[in-house]
Amino acid sequence: MNDFARRMLSLDRRLIFLLIAVVTLLPLLYPFRLPIRVSPEAQKIYDYIESLPEGSVFLLSLDFDPSSKPELYPMSIALLRHAFRKNLKVVGMTLWITGTSMAESVIAGVAQESGKEKGKDYIFLGYAPGGANVIISMGQDLYAAFPTDYYGVKTAELPMLKEVRTLRDIQYAISLSAGSPGVETWYVYGKEKYGFELGGGCTAVSAPGLYPLIDTGQINGLLGGLRGAAEYETLVGVPGKATAGMDAQSATHFLIIFLIMVCNLLYFLTGQEGRRRG
Amino acid sequence: MSIEIVIGVWVATGLSLFMYSFLYKDNPFFKLGEHIYVGVSVGYGLVITYYEVMVKKLYIPMVQGGNWWLILPTFLGLLVLARFIPALAWLSRLSFAFIVGVGSGIAIPRVISSLILQQVQGTLKPLVTTGDGGVVWFTFAGLNTLLIVVGVVSVLFYFFFSIEHTGVVHKVTRIGIYFLMVSFGAAFGYTVMARMSLLIGRFDELIEYASPDYDYATLVLLVVVIAGLVLWERSRTPESGNG
Repeated sequence: MNDFARRMLSLDRRLIFLLIAVVTLLPLLYPFRLPIRVSPEAQKIYDYIESLPEGSVFLLSLDFDPSSKPELYPMSIALLRHAFRKNLKVVGMTLWITGTSMAESVIAGVAQESGKEKGKDYIFLGYAPGGANVIISMGQDLYAAFPTDYYGVKTAELPMLKEVRTLRDIQYAISLSAGSPGVETWYVYGKEKYGFELGGGCTAVSAPGLYPLIDTGQINGLLGGLRGAAEYETLVGVPGKATAGMDAQSATHFLIIFLIMVCNLLYFLTGQEGRRRG
Repeated sequence: MSIEIVIGVWVATGLSLFMYSFLYKDNPFFKLGEHIYVGVSVGYGLVITYYEVMVKKLYIPMVQGGNWWLILPTFLGLLVLARFIPALAWLSRLSFAFIVGVGSGIAIPRVISSLILQQVQGTLKPLVTTGDGGVVWFTFAGLNTLLIVVGVVSVLFYFFFSIEHTGVVHKVTRIGIYFLMVSFGAAFGYTVMARMSLLIGRFDELIEYASPDYDYATLVLLVVVIAGLVLWERSRTPESGNG
């Protein structure tokens, strides 16, 4: 038994890579549609947007770049679909320079799909350097922080921004972030000082660090990783890339849990001598 | 489908497969992909910073908008580059003094208020609550609060090194270790989820690119990479090492 356990533990690790690849590919090719349970954190964001009256100003800060696209891109699509369906005025922007064109393409794409007009129903401010300082500057004078939008139009002349001079005129803001600057920056330098309600979306890696902000009410909800995106797609009722990926996510998690259990069992079966050898 | 998109898809698919080939072992395909990635990342960062910041936020507002006061921050920014000239390196201290002074002034009060005081406030919630129905001695929220308080205090004890961890202190620090282990486990679980999400995102696109719309890019390039790896393995002499 000891020898068998030792042989199993020294198997070529590339077999595990192959297993993970197969277990990821199969559900993507043949989905089995596991149910998606919506967490209270995602529900709160959905409910808050639902509660906003038509014409409210919704700021979406896409603070990520293409390296986090699989998790945060589906999230932004689902949130934008919801906001446009509710006829909210959407202000898009980014604090991550390398994500600027991707952020523009997602906002313009979903706006076009929803039949919304640039400058009237939505605007994209683009990128401004400074991270936290941009938020502070927007809190004092949005036209000064972004004299023009991404397309070069003067923000002071945009019909949608006529009554939006500072962050105090925004009803709800969500930062979808892959790190810093992101959700925490928006809370520390934005919400606490200028008083708008704030929600967050983040990569799964950053989610544990942001949960304490929900408990204290510093953010009103959180979408964490691909799962958070899938939850929001479920709430909006338009399944997308995140929902499609959840079967593969669950399958790989099952495999990893199984492998951890088997490896631990085999490790203990090697006996004291085997454990000493490592 | 436009030719630019098809070319882009073939390049993206090829590079993804090159990078995944590392799972077999370090090989020339991976090295090529790695070098292209580093080069393109730096190039993309430089170009987009030049256009989005230097042109859109500096040149246009200053030259076309007449905001000549922007010369001041530009000058401070240029002083940072003085570090490359040893005789003038001291000038960069002016810029750094400005950055550190303003940065600290902005950050310290806000961070203390938001991430320390408010978190402490969130930790110390009442266990027993009163309402219209009288005193409520037990709620699940109260149980959560108790768990959070025990966790915070025991973990703080674990990182308190001024006294020896013996007796009662040792027992409290042991509890702190259990809380830390649970927190590491949760963080690791989320990390696995994040990495799998990236893999799923990439596989999703590779499946899409395997369609006739993209001239079977994934399938063709997969065969090319595998054939290339076989040829590379055969061309290696035993003395050239194991990769």
